[in-house]
Amino acid sequence: MYNNNNNNNLHHHHQPQISHTSTSRSSDYSAGGSGDGEPSGTGNKWASRLLKECARAISDKDSSKIHHLLWMLNELSSPYGDCDQKLASYFLQALFCKATESGQRCFNTLTSVAEKSHSFDSARKLILKFQEVSPWTTFGHLAANGAILEALDGEPKLHIIDISNTLCTQWPTLLEALATRNDDTPHLKLTVVVTANIVRSVMKEISQRMEKFARLMGVPFEFNVITGLNHLGGLTKEALGVLEDEAVAVNCIGALRRVTVKERAPLIQMFRSLGPKVVTVVEEEADFSSTRYEFVKCFEECLRFYTLYFEMLEECFTPTSNEKLMLERECSRSIVRVLACEDGQDNESECERRERGSQWSERLKEAFSPVGFSDDVADDVKALLKRYKAGWGLAQPHQNETGLYLTWKEESVVWVSAWKP
Amino acid sequence: MLETMAEESISNGFMMNPVSGSNPPGVAKKKRNLPGTPDPEAEVIALSPKTLMETNRFLCEICGKGFQRDQNLQLHRRGHNLPWKLKQRSTKEVRKRVYVCPEKTCVHHHPSRALGDLTGIKKHFYRKHGEKKWKCEKCEKRYAVQSDWKAHSKTCGTREYKCDCGTLFSRRDSFITHRAFCDALAEETARVNAASGMHSLAAAGNFNYQLMGNPLDFSTVFKPNISSSNDDAIDQTRRGFSLWMGQASQGQEIQQFGSLNPGSIYSDPLVSTTSNPPALDYQLNWVFGNMVSSGNADDHQVTTSVSLPVSNVKENRPQLVSVPSLFSTQHQSHQTPSFSMSATALLQKAAQIGATSTETSFLGSFGTKCSNSQDGNKYSDLYVSNIPTTTTANDISTLNRLQMYPTKRRRMQNEDGGGGGGETRDFLGVGIQAICQPSSINGWL
Repeated sequence: MYNNNNNNNLHHHHQPQISHTSTSRSSDYSAGGSGDGEPSGTGNKWASRLLKECARAISDKDSSKIHHLLWMLNELSSPYGDCDQKLASYFLQALFCKATESGQRCFNTLTSVAEKSHSFDSARKLILKFQEVSPWTTFGHLAANGAILEALDGEPKLHIIDISNTLCTQWPTLLEALATRNDDTPHLKLTVVVTANIVRSVMKEISQRMEKFARLMGVPFEFNVITGLNHLGGLTKEALGVLEDEAVAVNCIGALRRVTVKERAPLIQMFRSLGPKVVTVVEEEADFSSTRYEFVKCFEECLRFYTLYFEMLEECFTPTSNEKLMLERECSRSIVRVLACEDGQDNESECERRERGSQWSERLKEAFSPVGFSDDVADDVKALLKRYKAGWGLAQPHQNETGLYLTWKEESVVWVSAWKP
Repeated sequence: MLETMAEESISNGFMMNPVSGSNPPGVAKKKRNLPGTPDPEAEVIALSPKTLMETNRFLCEICGKGFQRDQNLQLHRRGHNLPWKLKQRSTKEVRKRVYVCPEKTCVHHHPSRALGDLTGIKKHFYRKHGEKKWKCEKCEKRYAVQSDWKAHSKTCGTREYKCDCGTLFSRRDSFITHRAFCDALAEETARVNAASGMHSLAAAGNFNYQLMGNPLDFSTVFKPNISSSNDDAIDQTRRGFSLWMGQASQGQEIQQFGSLNPGSIYSDPLVSTTSNPPALDYQLNWVFGNMVSSGNADDHQVTTSVSLPVSNVKENRPQLVSVPSLFSTQHQSHQTPSFSMSATALLQKAAQIGATSTETSFLGSFGTKCSNSQDGNKYSDLYVSNIPTTTTANDISTLNRLQMYPTKRRRMQNEDGGGGGGETRDFLGVGIQAICQPSSINGWL
């Protein structure tokens, strides 16, 4: 079983965590297995081979080869097939956009289509179902909440700045903990920063639910939403409305990757200027950042990561799950954005350039120092993982690395860390 | 008043095996006396950590044998055949003893917060400041006090949490998260008004699979809509209404399939999107009832089909306020006001039809609700909004009135099924759900 023995995980993770090149991963992949010997839709590897060849052809500007491969992929792919077919389908879309320089248009179209079919009910159903079948998001929530509660313990006025698209699913358990932990329940102010239209549209409903739930829990509560921003890089200290007597926690879930690369350092400095007691960061373990000028390398890393993700979805959801389809579509938009859109075409944009935990750590160390997670939190995480299907594990890095990693079939997939000034 | 109603209903709704020491979520913590507020006349004892941790504190003066409890020591002393006097405890009145925690940083270190019994202070010391040596095998939870660990192990994994909507959970955290977003929570204040009439929503979940199995079949259902002009589409959607009657949560499903239309996007992203969206929008327009699509021609369609949104209040109400944010900025300015005017105009018109006598019974509790939501919406100035403040109590009652039309009512009940609510959704439950939304708009504006 994957999650029983932490020591095994640690040893296995030493290598992947040190090496940041994607080639080692992709060669493993094409060699016939992701380490567990399970076929799982990567049996004949045709998708990976064709996709990579096509990426190379585009990079080489080999026109006839490009056409040939695009045609082949189009014939073989399907967003409703097995993992290979799905990956082929969505990556084909990105390759096509790259070849025709239509990435931004495609992304805008995909986004507006998604927005139209989006509602509070569908979003709620999606995110809750995902959290039910997979710890991908709950892992980060649990660890971050643990760190936040410990850092803010004893403070009477709390201000949590939530920069995420989690639709506040992280906060009910924190509210409950605040209500039951101590006799003196603090006042909590929650400021949520959203930039995606798809999230913006449901925040009204979310805020009602949160306020109601907080009342139920008996926690004095104030809820603010900052929706006027169209890119996170433009977030300012003033907009956040932090008061002198508040104990601040900044919570970033999948947020830093949306900031354009050159705006990342300034944003981290801005967080520092808020004087927070703790900053929690949760990101997915992939590097689309250092390879952003090398199309093929970036492509391969992208393929590696999303292959893991799609396989995970396939195993966690039922075959006919609508939620799985929605999540896959969300990925397809991200893939198009990373591979076929130019970053920072204007100064007011976002991206999806993920970085690995170690890379984020380097950035965060410029303004903060790492805080370890307590044994209690680690225990809670292990208990959480036990409640899901097998395959999940917890890796605690050693040496100079910080944070905790969620692993899926021995691969690190999600990283969570806590920082203090 | 509202909060006590909420508390009562919630505590009735929660069913879980009580475990000592844990607070069931949803019951607002009652402020009883803080633990460790002792009798001011009591004698304060400060034991050292070593002494607290000693297991055999009670020593026999004869043979030096140690016992964990005083009773055990006394029993033992009888065995020594001591003279009668020494057998008894000294008769002098013993002052009540309270104990402080030796840990300086602890809140119970100060005599004013001392704990009343020795066992209590011992357990406290271990729990808060001790090493957690006892671990539950099932869930990894650790305990410093053995009796806590034992008590936990007995119930670990056996607890079940039941939400008001009927869903069962074995995990506390997913139960809590679900609860915060559950429609049953939104409706708790309407509990007193709920009438009979259960509506099972178990079937709703199955729709997903059926639809997923035949995506192509679904697109054929919409084929008639796709190729028609604006006017035809309107008629189509009206006819389509009856098609929808018996099919509950398809509403949601179709939305997703609508977005499948650009499936041919790979061949030419530009071409396929321009040909499909109008049809797509008509479908979605109808489903949501108030969706505004990107074409100008659709303005007319919005006006005529706006009767539908009123019936679909549960989904639409949040849509109503969020319409501005669903679209790119260029569309926002000219589209939203016209739409919202139509909807509001309709409401006002409808208000003229019905009386407001229903107001008192439904809105008695909502009076407070409205005012509550007002102060909660501090971000209203940050929020993009073009909706005028015209929703009134009149509208609320007439909204309810409009739901009395049988066809719309049935549809609404089915719609709710798709929304992922609970078993006990009934007409009035739905009606009240509808009422909940407008009042929140009130507060929001």
